Parts: sequence; C-alpha cells; structure tokens
Amino acid sequence: MQRRYRTIPDLKVHESARALAFEDPILAGKLTAMGLLPGTLIEMVRRAPFGNAYYIKADGVRLALRNEEASSILIDA
Amino acid sequence: MRDQLGDKLPNIALVGNPNSGKSTIFNQLTGLRQKTGNFPGVTVDVKEGRFHLPNGREAVLTDLPGTYSLYPTASDEKIVATVLTNPEDKHYPDAVVYVADATHLEKHLLLLTQLLDLNLPVVLALNMSDTAAQIGIKVHAAKLTERLGIPVLMVSGRTGENIPRLLGEIEKLIHTPPSKRKSFYSFSEAEKQITEAVCLNLNISSPYAALLIAHHHTWLPFLTSQQSSTIATIVQNKGFSSLKNQVDETLERYDRFTPIVQDSVQRPPQFPSTPTDRIDEVVTHRWFGPFIFFAVMLLVFQSIYDWSTIPMDLIESFFSNLNVSLKDNLPVHWTTDLLTDGILAGLSGILVFVPQIAILFFLVTLLEEVGYMARVVFMFDKTMRRFGMNGRSVVALISGGACAVPAIMSSRTIGNWKERLITVMVTPFISCSARLPVYAVLIGLAVPPEKVLWIFTWQSLAFGSMYALGVVAALGSGYVMKKILRTHEASYLAIELPVYRIPHWKNLWLNVWEKVSAFVIGAGKIILIISVVLWALASFGPGTAMEQATTSAHAVAAAEQFDSSATDDLVAAYRLEASYAGYLGKVIEPAIRPLGYDWKIGIAIIASFAAREVFVGTMSTIYSIGSAEDDVLLREKMRSATFDDSGLPIYTLATALSLLVFYALAMQCMSTLAVVKRETKNWKWPLIQFGFMSTLAYLLAWVVYNLFI
Repeated sequence: MQRRYRTIPDLKVHESARALAFEDPILAGKLTAMGLLPGTLIEMVRRAPFGNAYYIKADGVRLALRNEEASSILIDA
Repeated sequence: MRDQLGDKLPNIALVGNPNSGKSTIFNQLTGLRQKTGNFPGVTVDVKEGRFHLPNGREAVLTDLPGTYSLYPTASDEKIVATVLTNPEDKHYPDAVVYVADATHLEKHLLLLTQLLDLNLPVVLALNMSDTAAQIGIKVHAAKLTERLGIPVLMVSGRTGENIPRLLGEIEKLIHTPPSKRKSFYSFSEAEKQITEAVCLNLNISSPYAALLIAHHHTWLPFLTSQQSSTIATIVQNKGFSSLKNQVDETLERYDRFTPIVQDSVQRPPQFPSTPTDRIDEVVTHRWFGPFIFFAVMLLVFQSIYDWSTIPMDLIESFFSNLNVSLKDNLPVHWTTDLLTDGILAGLSGILVFVPQIAILFFLVTLLEEVGYMARVVFMFDKTMRRFGMNGRSVVALISGGACAVPAIMSSRTIGNWKERLITVMVTPFISCSARLPVYAVLIGLAVPPEKVLWIFTWQSLAFGSMYALGVVAALGSGYVMKKILRTHEASYLAIELPVYRIPHWKNLWLNVWEKVSAFVIGAGKIILIISVVLWALASFGPGTAMEQATTSAHAVAAAEQFDSSATDDLVAAYRLEASYAGYLGKVIEPAIRPLGYDWKIGIAIIASFAAREVFVGTMSTIYSIGSAEDDVLLREKMRSATFDDSGLPIYTLATALSLLVFYALAMQCMSTLAVVKRETKNWKWPLIQFGFMSTLAYLLAWVVYNLFI
C-alpha cells in the first residue's frame, strides 16, 4: 500500500509545513500561478466559520482554499 | 517625431495581478476621462480612459482585468490572453504598463515574464513604493532593468510618486520599435515543434503567442473554426498535454525570476504579526466573523434609508416645483403636458435614485477597497455552495441590493459556469433600490406605523421582511437550479486575501461616479422612454373616446354639483379609463383580479415590466395627482379607491401585501434582462428567468391575497 501523504487540512492551526506536490493538475496550474509552489512554506491560519475552507499563508501571502483544494496539496512531515 | 503608428491614437494596456493596485494607477493617469467599454465578442466590460503623453499626444489606456498568468480560469481573465495573443485585436497594445506590488515582487512577476516572451514593449511599474519604504523593503530598480531588459520604476498610485516619469517611459516605448528579445522561457522539444507548426499554419511570428494559442485553441474567440480544428489536430498528433506543460512552464519561469528578485530586493526579516493578521483574528473569527458581517450589512441598509432621505426629498421637490411653474407659465397644450408629465416626471424618476445608488456603491466599493469582500467570500463559500453558488457570489448578491445590473456583471470573477449562471439567474430576486419606492408607498398604505418592539415599527419590520423574502427566493431558486443543472466543470475558491488598506478616496469617488452615470445614462434612457410612452398611452385614446369621456365627466360633475377641483379629478379619471392605457389595463384585468388588483394596478404592472420604479409615477398619473408625486396624497387617493363593479375598497391589507410580494419577486426590469442576455450570450436564460420569476410572483401573490382576504 502506498503511504498516504499529509495534506494541508491535516495541519493544526499555526502549524507550518512545506508544499511538496499537487494531486490535481488543474488546481496545480491555478495555485502555482498564484505563487503556491512546491517548496513554499505553508502556515495554517484558521478554518472558515462554517467549515470546509481554510485560511492559509503561503510564503507570507494570505490565501483562502476550499477543502478539496487544500487536500490536493501534499505537504512534508 | 512621427512613428509607425501614423495618426492612430496609441493603445496602452495596464496589466498586472489582482490586488496589484492597477486601478489606482489607472485613475491617476486618466482621472474622470474614463468609460467602461464593451469588448466585442467576449462580452466583458473593460475600463478605457484617455491621457496625454509628455509630448502632448493623446493616448488610450485600457485597464485589462487582473490575472496571475496567461492561463486563465475565469472569463474576465480570458480577456487578457485573448487581447495579448492577437496583434489584430483592436485593443492590442502599443505599449504595456505592468503593475506589480513592490511588497510582494517574488509572487508578481510570472505574468510579466509571459509578456516579455510575447515581445511586447513593457515598462515595469513597482506600485506601492510608499508601503514598501515603510516596511523597509528596498528595491534596486537598476538591477531589475539590467536583468529583465526593460525600464523599471518605483511608483505609487496613492501619492502619485513617479507618475510623470512613467508617462515619459510610455512615450519612449511607443517610439522605439520592438527589438527581438531572447525568450525568457526555454521551450521543450515538443513545444518547439508544436509552436513551429502553429506559426506556419496561422502565419504568426511570435513563438510564445503560438504556444498559448495551442493551449487555448478551444476557446480563443479570434480563431476561425477551421483554424482551431487545424490546431487541435497538431496538438493531438504531438500528444501535447496542455495541463502538464502549463505547470512545467510556470515552475520554470519561477525558477528563473526568483533569483532575479532575490538579487534586486532587500527585505527586512518577517514580522511575526502584522495589523492584517490582528484584524483577521476578529473579522474572520468563527463566531465574530459572521456576526460582524451581518452587523455591517445592517449598517449598509440603514445608511441607504437614512442618509438618502434629504437629497431625495430635495430632488423631488425641485422637480415638482419646476413642474408647477412650467404648467403655470406655459400655454395649455399637449406639448406642455408631454414636457411636464412625460419628460420631467421621467427625469425625476431617474434622478431620485441617484442618492441611494451613490451611497450603496460607495459602501460596497469601500468594503472591496479595504479588502473586506475577500474575507466575506472566504467565510461564506460553504454556505453559498449549498445553494449552487460560490463564495464570490456573495459580492453579487450584496451589490444586488443596489441594482442587479452591475451586480450581475460582477459575477465574471466566478470561473465555474454553473455557479456563475446560478448567480446571474437569482441575483434579481434581491430587493434592489428600484423596489424601495414601491415598498414605501405600499407599506405606508397598508401597514400601521405603530411601534412593536424597542425601536422597531411594524413598517420597518415589513421592509425587513421584503428583503428577507428576496434572499429566501434567491437562495431557494439557487438550490433548485443546483439540482437541475448538470456540469462536470471544476469549481474553485482559491482566492488571495489582500492586506487591509486604507481606501484610496479617489478610487472610491471615481467608482461611485462611474456607477451613477452608468445608471443615469443606461437605465435612465429606458425609464425616460417608458415615462413618455406611458404618458402618451394615458393621454390618447381610440377614436373620439377621450372627447366623449370628457363630456360625460362634465355632465356627471354638473349633475352632482362638484367644485372645480373635484370636476378636474373626475375628468382625469374618466379620460384615463377611456385612454389606450385604460384599455390595456382592462384587457389584463381578468388575469390579475385573482390577486386582488383592478385595471388601474394593471396599467402600473404593465408599465413596471420595463422598470419597477415607474410604479409610483404611474399610480400618481392614474390617480390624477399629476407629477407632484406626493406619497402622502397618493396613499390617500389609493386608500379611498374602490373596485368599479363591486364598489369594495381595492387597497385592503390583502391587496397591498399581494402587490408587495408581486413586486418583490417579479422580473420587471428590461435592463437586467438585457444584461443577463449579454452575460450568458443567449436569450434562453433571460427568458427562463423572466418566466420563472413572474410565475413565482403570480403564484405567491395569489396565495398571500387569499390568506389575508
């Protein structure tokens, strides 16, 4: 069995990790253009009030991502 | 000095990422000399303005939508790729001003490197130089110039710093013929082959433009169907994977420009917590966040009501005074009536909305300028998706409280077609400012002004319920459409939450000015025309019907020994009944009688299908209180009105509530239908919208009437 990588929703609030790769090619195109690249330092800032979305910082840039978007980004450790 | 342009005005394009402060630069350069132009074929409005170069020559500045790259995911972003890959496009720039945020340069240069590969003459304007200096960021413009091979300037749209030098650089760019640059991005072997084939087939010279065309051949509007099928074959034969190549290209570009930025920008060590973080602690907080949002919305609506009363009263009394003095001083003739009851009544009906529209747009723009709207999108994405929409739809729905037309246009930032379509379809349910005067008259007529609770009166609660009804109808029909429509297209949230900024007042005022003048000119034209048509319908009748009505009214008045003003009222009422308008109202009376309406309301409803705001004016005409448009007088007249046949009072609570529900839900706005057609590129959607909204309005009005009768 393939080991499951951690993704952004696995981060606790204020926890950081580096982005490794994208699971969804369409989202990869969009997110890389916005500056979220493999190697970018991601910090979980908070969850949306009604859930299902995340407020993160990618190298200091504040982004809002949906659950599906955030869970397509594999992170280290 | 002449150049290759001849006498044509040079076209300058502003390009940059969202939140780079492009619009501030645009406003600095053009001021009031701007308009919203329509891009043919792609149905997106883009701002255009004029300005003078240092040599005195006039130039056209186009503010292209903000985008992160030439690989677009939403229809506003597609414009940028469409214009920049087609030298034949009428907006294809002679020079580009690339605006980048100096405080986030490492994320803002991707698109610039793409422009460089299109061989466009570019000047890099590093915006927000003031903020960068404040937080201790130093940019060595000379180093960037050396490494990128283009002029680079630190500017500030806020303070106007270096704007004259920017003009100088634009002028130089126009006068220097483009020199062939070395491609920033190194094409892979497969990309080279495809590009050569596309260049050869389409007879274009820029390899990068050819590569983009290969990526985007399915939707680029300037390709003929033959051209796009040729490219499809090329792409297929080479086994070209657009998505994979796009990501590879993007990553390679970052690899190449990141060291350049690192060499040229000195930044202080990161601060652990900035004001933006501290504000967001509260504003996007799990409990406080939504609470603050609803408090802000309440404040917005409160200010629309409160602050607009005085200017609205001034406008109304100005027009009614003007009307009275014209009637007193001009000869009694139908042309005088046309001027006063037709044209002036129409003008007053348009201009009276200006204060409300101005206040609402001021507040909505303010929330957007400070960066709050992006937080709303983040907080309510999940809620909106439940109703088939996107977090971005919140902006459209809130703007719908002012006017559905600009609100629908704001849906262009939604990439997913289904979510965008639902947003466009349900936004008109939100009670817009045009429904306000209708609500005001009807609620004043039927709902007692007594206090119920604390500061609330029954009337203010009735107003509140009208808005709630609109929101429920919008979300409910969104939910239904979500279940009916099928799509496999991906939907995104992924949005940048910009740093909170003190609003730039010039941007705010220009935006308000632009929206208000668009309303006065665009919607105003329609209202004015309707007003004149209505006047004509009410002033003329078939054959000698009008003369007969006058004669019989005088006979009745004489028999009953009416005084002169009562006689005039009776004559006006008889004439209206005999007019074309009365005829039309009677034709539809059987259809609207179940809702509790008579033929007079029928006339108002027919007229309102062009624009709701004509309701009050029409009712005034019908109850022959002329163009005074006095709410109180109108209410009195309506209160004493009775059905012609039964003699029962018309405006009972049931009828008033039924009319309120009807006006809240019915699609009665030609401008909205026109803009929906433009945004969906198809008559099907506005027709469905019209049918659906009108049916719902009719049914619910019927239910309400029968509940309260």
